[in-house]
Amino acid sequence: MLNCFQQGHHDMLPKTTHDEASRQEFAKSLRGFIQHSTLPGLQPIYEKRVVPKFKRDNGHEPKGRQDIRRAMVKNSYFQLYASSNRIAQELLWESTVMSVERQLPALIERAKELSAQTEAKLVIPSDFVPPKYVSAIDIHCMPGGYCTEVTDADVSAGVVYDRGVYLYTMGYTGPDNDDMGRSVCNFLKRNNPDFKPRRILDMGCTVGHSTLPYRDAFPEAEIWGIDVGGGCVRYAHARGVALGREVNFAQMNAEETTFEDGYFDLVVSHILLHETSGKAMPKIFKESERLLSPGGLMIHADLPPFDLMDPFTQFILDNETWYNNEPFWGAMRDLDQIKLAEEAGFPRESVRFDNAPMAIMETTEGSKGYSDQSKEAVADREFTAGEFAPGGGWEVLIAQKPLIKQEEA
Amino acid sequence: MSDANENPQLNHHAKGKRPKFYDDEASDQLMSMVMVLASELNVMRDRIDAQERVAKQHGIDLAGGIEALELDDNALEEREAWRQGFMSRLFYLARKEAEEAQIGETKEKYNNTIDEIAQP
Repeated sequence: MLNCFQQGHHDMLPKTTHDEASRQEFAKSLRGFIQHSTLPGLQPIYEKRVVPKFKRDNGHEPKGRQDIRRAMVKNSYFQLYASSNRIAQELLWESTVMSVERQLPALIERAKELSAQTEAKLVIPSDFVPPKYVSAIDIHCMPGGYCTEVTDADVSAGVVYDRGVYLYTMGYTGPDNDDMGRSVCNFLKRNNPDFKPRRILDMGCTVGHSTLPYRDAFPEAEIWGIDVGGGCVRYAHARGVALGREVNFAQMNAEETTFEDGYFDLVVSHILLHETSGKAMPKIFKESERLLSPGGLMIHADLPPFDLMDPFTQFILDNETWYNNEPFWGAMRDLDQIKLAEEAGFPRESVRFDNAPMAIMETTEGSKGYSDQSKEAVADREFTAGEFAPGGGWEVLIAQKPLIKQEEA
Repeated sequence: MSDANENPQLNHHAKGKRPKFYDDEASDQLMSMVMVLASELNVMRDRIDAQERVAKQHGIDLAGGIEALELDDNALEEREAWRQGFMSRLFYLARKEAEEAQIGETKEKYNNTIDEIAQP
């Protein structure tokens, strides 16, 4: 089944010329091709060629993902896989950046017009300093990263991300890139049907793509999306209006927000934690705990820990650390997240990992390329480690603040 | 449509030392060039396909018209400008490398960042 998924339209998306659209489609198709045609070959190459050679040279089998990596980087098939995957990423961003650059002034004006139409708040402090873990390296090779602003009222980081992440995910997160948010909302509705959060915080929301589903799921709630990128939240605010789902956004660091204690009943994040750092992650858990009201829930949807998978799968996934500017990707998977949540003040028995099934099957009505056949092919296909979309669901870490906090003995 | 030349310039390089995949560094350069060429070949293929489909909708014999076309100075200039932009994308890695040298991006710096920000 061919993947011809197309991004859903909204008024903040850049228009593409014929040639820009064609370059972007090429980058998306190349990513898809590498996943379904090149990636699966790594396993037999490893087992049949690399392991025997490693044993001859070292007298034992490769022991962990570090051994596997040292052996694999010398193999020509792996070199072709890894280099073409990196180049696909570079083509994806360049084809997006050149399109956004061409129409940036018009996009900035459109964002202003849309944002002026809503009562929802947009808070951008003048003295905000982005944390080092997003400014030291441009994460997942997005030129300029989340925080660069090249002109007044810049929205380019948000526009580039919204279009680029659709190409990166190859449409597997739905026409509005919102599958993670929808999946967590569905998970909550199914497992906590009586839970009616009055206020919801989405940490590291980028362009609000995962935030907006909470507007649909909890129409009465006050919802905030926060991110370290000013251009991201500015864009997110306008994008929400363009999609008819108005949400408050603020440029804020999830380690230290300005909301008062116990303000939220639900604190969530979607693929945020692996883009932070070893110092920041415990602070984000502590901040989540501080912000929750008694009985409130913290849900972080991110990467499953390495101890749940075999060393070869760990090696494949850790390629993102080395080849895609994701410096915390590997180290984050080695952390004991349950212990971190406990140290942040959540009772051990309230903390667990679970799986939120992908919502894509029910969220793609009426969008080009998302036929019933192609959706089923996504939902039912065999999953190869290293593909973007996980087989069937997202890993979620859940913790609940007690109704009455236990006094320290 | 605004004039792209007057627009603020966005970043085209991602901060962070680019890894080398091949023993011979020239192979990394060549691989990138080949894939960019493939991308542009795909654009051309799509564009020709689009032209033929649009023309057909209007009952026009495009192939005959293309053979009969003569380029004037304006057309030659436009084609040259397009080719310069194309070559700029084709030599992306060279630009990235020069920038890394200029601003001092190194593998050690990247590794140090991983180590440093993994510290609890």
